[in-house]
Amino acid sequence: MSEPIDRGTAIAVIGAGSSGLPAAKNLREYGFEVDVLEREDDLGGNWNFGKPNSRVYRSTHMISSKPFTQYPDFPMPDGFPDYPHHAQVLEYFRRYARHFGLHEVIEFGTSVERVEPVPLAGGSGADESPRWDVTVTKDGRTETRRYAGVVVANGHNWFPKTPSYPGQEDFAGEIIHSADYKDPGVLRGRRVLVVGAGNTGCDIAVEGAQHAEHTYHSTRRGYWYNQKYVFGKPADQVSDVFFGLNLPTRFIQWAFEKTVRMTVGDFARHGLKEPDHRMLETHPIVNQTLLYYVGHGEITPVDDIEHFERDRVVLTDGRAVEVDLVVFCTGYLIRFPFLDEDVIGMQDGRPELYRHVFHPVHDNLFVIGLIQPDSGQFKLVHWQTVAVARYLALKDRDPVRAREFREQVRRHVHERSLGGIEMVDSTRHLVEVEHVDYLRALARLINEDLSPRDVLTTAGAAR
Amino acid sequence: MTRPTTRLEQPEPVLTPIEWSFPAPPVERELLEVLPEQPTGKPPILFVHGLSHGAWCWREHWMPAAAADGWRTYAVSLRGHGASAGREHLDRTLLRHYVHDVLQAITELPEPPVLVGHSMGGLVVQHVLERYAARAGVLVAPASAFHGLGSLGLLLRHRPRQVLRALAGRTLELDRELLFSDDLDEATAQRYVDRLGPEGALVQHQLVLPRRPRPSKAPVLVIGAGDDRMVPVIDVVRTARHYGTRAHVFRGMAHDMMLEPDWKAPLELVLRWLEDTVGRDR
Ligand SMILES: Cc1cc2nc3c(=O)[nH]c(=O)nc-3n(C[C@H](O)[C@H](O)[C@H](O)COP(=O)(O)OP(=O)(O)OC[C@H]3O[C@@H](n4cnc5c(N)ncnc54)[C@H](O)[C@@H]3O)c2cc1C
Repeated sequence: MSEPIDRGTAIAVIGAGSSGLPAAKNLREYGFEVDVLEREDDLGGNWNFGKPNSRVYRSTHMISSKPFTQYPDFPMPDGFPDYPHHAQVLEYFRRYARHFGLHEVIEFGTSVERVEPVPLAGGSGADESPRWDVTVTKDGRTETRRYAGVVVANGHNWFPKTPSYPGQEDFAGEIIHSADYKDPGVLRGRRVLVVGAGNTGCDIAVEGAQHAEHTYHSTRRGYWYNQKYVFGKPADQVSDVFFGLNLPTRFIQWAFEKTVRMTVGDFARHGLKEPDHRMLETHPIVNQTLLYYVGHGEITPVDDIEHFERDRVVLTDGRAVEVDLVVFCTGYLIRFPFLDEDVIGMQDGRPELYRHVFHPVHDNLFVIGLIQPDSGQFKLVHWQTVAVARYLALKDRDPVRAREFREQVRRHVHERSLGGIEMVDSTRHLVEVEHVDYLRALARLINEDLSPRDVLTTAGAAR
Repeated sequence: MTRPTTRLEQPEPVLTPIEWSFPAPPVERELLEVLPEQPTGKPPILFVHGLSHGAWCWREHWMPAAAADGWRTYAVSLRGHGASAGREHLDRTLLRHYVHDVLQAITELPEPPVLVGHSMGGLVVQHVLERYAARAGVLVAPASAFHGLGSLGLLLRHRPRQVLRALAGRTLELDRELLFSDDLDEATAQRYVDRLGPEGALVQHQLVLPRRPRPSKAPVLVIGAGDDRMVPVIDVVRTARHYGTRAHVFRGMAHDMMLEPDWKAPLELVLRWLEDTVGRDR
């Protein structure tokens, strides 16, 4: 194999979705050269409807309102609604990329096949970080480039997690995963079983109510269905007042549960399962219309699947439903096809990272966007990337302090940011974060732990 | 390495819960533009007006002159000002809504601009520079980085009745002596004064309150007017010191430097500084 192309001090960013874009912008803002390597011929990742890795469907709108979602230094246009449509979100990324000149650094049609650390030469200090060989294919050619660091932003909502039940192979109807669900055309005139009560599952159940002959919605447990609007305002704008006031979690849970009770009332009366957990202990579901269709008899809530037969699905409570389409809305698995599992450090289905970003062994390998917040994602990822940029800048400016930070990463790698809430069903919440708690943690990193000592002491003296 | 604009000295505004729960109401804004005949590689300039003014005040001299020098120039009217909507909500408008207006105008530009703010607009620009890496910031007779007591004192001395009325919630009445020097002819001065609009009562109060913008994400130039009756020269000097630079004070000029008969002198200094700071970059 030929010698790798030396990219000097440049940093590789893998992916030009909502995470890769602010990574490039903020690294450049802090003075670093970046190459953004993007497999597709366009940016936007998940939000570019119809692209191979996109998982939005024709009707997808944001579930968090604008102020919680947008990048803090580039607000979404005032002309956008509270909850923009996926086409507007893509338009927003285009404006962002154009404004910050990111097309200068994005290489489209460049697929990352392999990322590996270059072994350190013998005798080097324990502090030395490896460089990274990144092998890409571009226009049918393969080449390897050597970078000073790698920011992984390949998304975590693309590799379908598909359950398997006894008899599934003999089922005469069709089974798809929501990853392949693009619009309600496939539902028309069919009897549909939607499996899973994530936001996608609830959305598709509602589309079933509007288009299918009948829709069954199978959920493992009862959930708290949040409204998109409370008191005429986007619900997250109201609920954050509670978070901001630093009220006890128990009280917040009580208040939110009361609000849901006011509209939903008795879950059992609708045939819904009673939630078996407190509010906030599962990833929030925001859906204002599911209950409406349940009440109109268009959606029948049903139990978990027990097994499949030729033309029906038997549920755990012994009942059976006759359906000809099953849509698994059972989520996604975390995958890094280009990194060896022991390099990235996979553990129980996710890499072990400090604050979901910093690697405990390799201080110049970062993962961003690998969070599932109870709020908008882009804002949080913006601050993740600022923390990355500041760490790299700190290494040049104050190596002693940078070493202290690495120690902190190693020591506290297990800390989570869940606002003191125990999540139920942990496999579904591997990367869940409570946004205020998480932002507080990032703020501490950015403005304290990743500031040079001389800056901190002068700021302290001035205070 | 590319040119860093943000340094490790810069604290980042991560937690802004008030803005998340109480976002600025959306509004239609006026954005004027005057472009050079030949496109040049210079970054765009976005002008932000002050108390009761509108984008029009830049359209008079500075925008065409800067455009003739090769700069793409834009001017935004803050909500409730000029031809922007939102006048009926001015009594509920806050300074941070103006900050939002400027950020919104920025996102409409093809690349990060230079921000030029006058008077109250100078304070709005200081707040934008805390969080947005503009190419550069120029503060023209800016409202102080610390508090508005200096301005309040000046106004109390010269216009006590107007100040009392403003404190009671009315728009501060600006007249030709407050804004212009005697050198500006009566007819022109009157024309400008006639274009002034209402100002938000809460904003007028906020202008007096203590504050201390975080360091800027971009290089800052501060200029002031020697005969300013709105912002005392000492405040301009202190604001400049806050940004680690020295104020350039133009003797014999009054507050509305971009409308004064001698408007060319400060503009020339600004453009020369911009040329050195950001002009040759790309
Ligand atoms: C239906 C649905 C609704 C959602 N709604 C919301 C919402 O309302 N609010 C919210 O905040 N989040 C929402 N999300 C979460 C969503 O995942 C994030 O908003 C965001 O899209 C994640 O961005 P990303 O850049 O991390 O990943 P992606 O958007 O997946 O981008 C990854 C990019 O990396 C590229 N890539 C991957 N592998 C390689 C490789 N080997 N080589 C080169 N390039 C590669 C891909 O082509 C892609 O462009 C939703 C997700 C789904 C599925």
